Amino acid sequence: MITAIKNIIDYRELIAVLAWKNITVRYKQAYLGVGWAVLKPLTLMLVFTLVRSFVGIPSGNVPYPILAFAALLPWIFFQESASEGVISVVGNAALIRKIYFPREVFPLTSMVTKLVELGINVLILAGLMMWYGMAPSIYVAWVPLIIVYTMLVSLSIAFAGAAINVYYRDVGAALPTLLSLLMYASPVIYPLDLVKNKLLVERAAGNWSDILYTLYTLNPLAGIIDSFQNVVLRGLPPDFLALIPGAILVAIALPISYLFFKRAESHFADVI
Amino acid sequence: MAIIQVNHVSKEYRLGQLHSVKQSLQNAIARFRGHAVPLQAPFKALDDVDFRVEDGEVLGIIGENGAGKSTLLKLLAGITVPTHGSVSVPGSVSPLIEVGAGMVPDLTGRENIYLNAVILGMRRAEIKKKFDAIVAFAELEEFIDTPIKRYSSGMQVRLGFSVATSMDSDILIVDEVLAVGDLAFQRKCFDRMEDMIRRQGKTVLLVSHNIRQVERMCNRVLLLDHGKIFADGKPKEICDLFYERSDVRIKSQSSQAPGKSPGSFQRGTGDLELLSASLLDSTGATVDKIEHDSDVTVKLVFEARSALNTPTFGVGVHTTDLLFLATKDTEGQLNLRAIGPGVFTILFHIARFPFLPGVYSLRVGVAVGELHSVVLYVEGIIQFQVESVNINRAREMNQGFVPLEGRWEVDERASQVKEIAIREKHAEGTVQTLLKS
Repeated sequence: MITAIKNIIDYRELIAVLAWKNITVRYKQAYLGVGWAVLKPLTLMLVFTLVRSFVGIPSGNVPYPILAFAALLPWIFFQESASEGVISVVGNAALIRKIYFPREVFPLTSMVTKLVELGINVLILAGLMMWYGMAPSIYVAWVPLIIVYTMLVSLSIAFAGAAINVYYRDVGAALPTLLSLLMYASPVIYPLDLVKNKLLVERAAGNWSDILYTLYTLNPLAGIIDSFQNVVLRGLPPDFLALIPGAILVAIALPISYLFFKRAESHFADVI
Repeated sequence: MAIIQVNHVSKEYRLGQLHSVKQSLQNAIARFRGHAVPLQAPFKALDDVDFRVEDGEVLGIIGENGAGKSTLLKLLAGITVPTHGSVSVPGSVSPLIEVGAGMVPDLTGRENIYLNAVILGMRRAEIKKKFDAIVAFAELEEFIDTPIKRYSSGMQVRLGFSVATSMDSDILIVDEVLAVGDLAFQRKCFDRMEDMIRRQGKTVLLVSHNIRQVERMCNRVLLLDHGKIFADGKPKEICDLFYERSDVRIKSQSSQAPGKSPGSFQRGTGDLELLSASLLDSTGATVDKIEHDSDVTVKLVFEARSALNTPTFGVGVHTTDLLFLATKDTEGQLNLRAIGPGVFTILFHIARFPFLPGVYSLRVGVAVGELHSVVLYVEGIIQFQVESVNINRAREMNQGFVPLEGRWEVDERASQVKEIAIREKHAEGTVQTLLKS
């Protein structure tokens, strides 16, 4: 793990340049340029808002569109940096066959690339908040930490997934679908409070309610999305109860995932 | 202290397709139950390769295709790891395994320099400092802000080479890159490489099929054969050994059927067919090896479907890599008005075959009419070896293809020296000295 951090520091320029390359290449010949990054969260937000007008989802004292948009930011960042991280090694096969540097540079680069897009979307979120006349509280200082935590979550998937994807491309193909399923198990369309009320207050599942809620929050994204909404929109501190189960899972999964990646790494050039 | 240590390295690859998930699971279950799983024998790309490279050495690595050269370089560059044994390269390596690694067509030359240099391991500050020199060396000042997808392939290679060789690394690994670019740029690349070798004292590993280049630049050469070190030593000896081996291989590959040997090239109208071609020595016997400076006859048997009017026949000698050396046609010598249809034989007598030992091949052309329209042209019809009892094969390779006839002397009237001594063999074998005041 120490070598991992050392590698990140040693290869920060490489990661930065590769990420810059990804962004430049993707948007260079597009008139709207990086503006396309906001397309996905904005359309999804509109769709969700439309759906909500039929089924009715409580959104507390925050306007629903902005609540949905705030949920979509960490979600899309997680989903895309994980799935692009998984295909990043195979996607750079030409480089891998020709030159050596620590291969974790590739998943990390995918993540940094997505981080830039997240930054643009945060600006849009700020614009939306101004539109609705909302001011962030002091708790907004939690945002960087929440983002870093989200990065660790996506890396847990990206490292192991990227390594397996070198041998079996199925992973890269299946992951986007699996992750969009996970979206419904995360408080993206609906707020976490809805689940919390059902299970912890109304005890809808009887004695199983507590266990079910822990299972639900074992998904790190549950805590992340809720905390992001709390600190940015609701002016509340993060809900640690919702964060802890997921954090424990990540603390176990990330080192395993990373070590697995490092063990497979030396054979990438032979197999890819 | 050796700067590169390769300790009994083997690299195995499994042949065939990667197993499917199903196959892998089945194998795992079978192994779990104690059944033996049929394993495909691995392919040994490198087999117990062991050598050291000292600081400042320029090591050439040669061998036929598939001998393991590129695998060896990949191990040294850390791209892949050995199956057995170990590789130790403590210094920084700048691999020119393929120039322009990671270059992106959509980015400009400027952007690609940064990208490529950072990928190779340079720091941003370092690149900034060297940027102008890189551009100048690649001769791309005008085009530096143009996307490289608009570059010619030569320009792209120049850019890649320029970036890679501007790195300050201890070891430079070069794989066949000098064979690109126009002649002037190749010259420049050579000069830069020589500069790195001679002046900066860098350790260089050079893999190339251009044996002449290897012989010139290296001070030690490894000859790989089927993953093993076949020979290791002085460039001269090893390169000669390589030539000898490939001569034998080319000969054994070439079948004697005209136009059917590998690398042969044939075109024609179909009116005429070359049935057979053979070499005869002075006694009239068919041979596949001839003596340098001996008389040789080329016997060509044709079959014409229709009569050929005023045909001209030509025979040429070329090297196996299609360097045309000499040609002779029947014009002015054999003035045929017509020949055919039917089978006929043409003989071409070569007096004192002039080419030095090596493997050569023949080409034949037949044209008809005043306009010399080609009815048949075949290259590489027979490959044959030229030998000489007098000339050492090893000496010949540096001496070209033909001996130069001439006479040497010292211009005594134009020389103002104290003494010109000429050894002159007497019948007794003593040496007499002529003194000139």
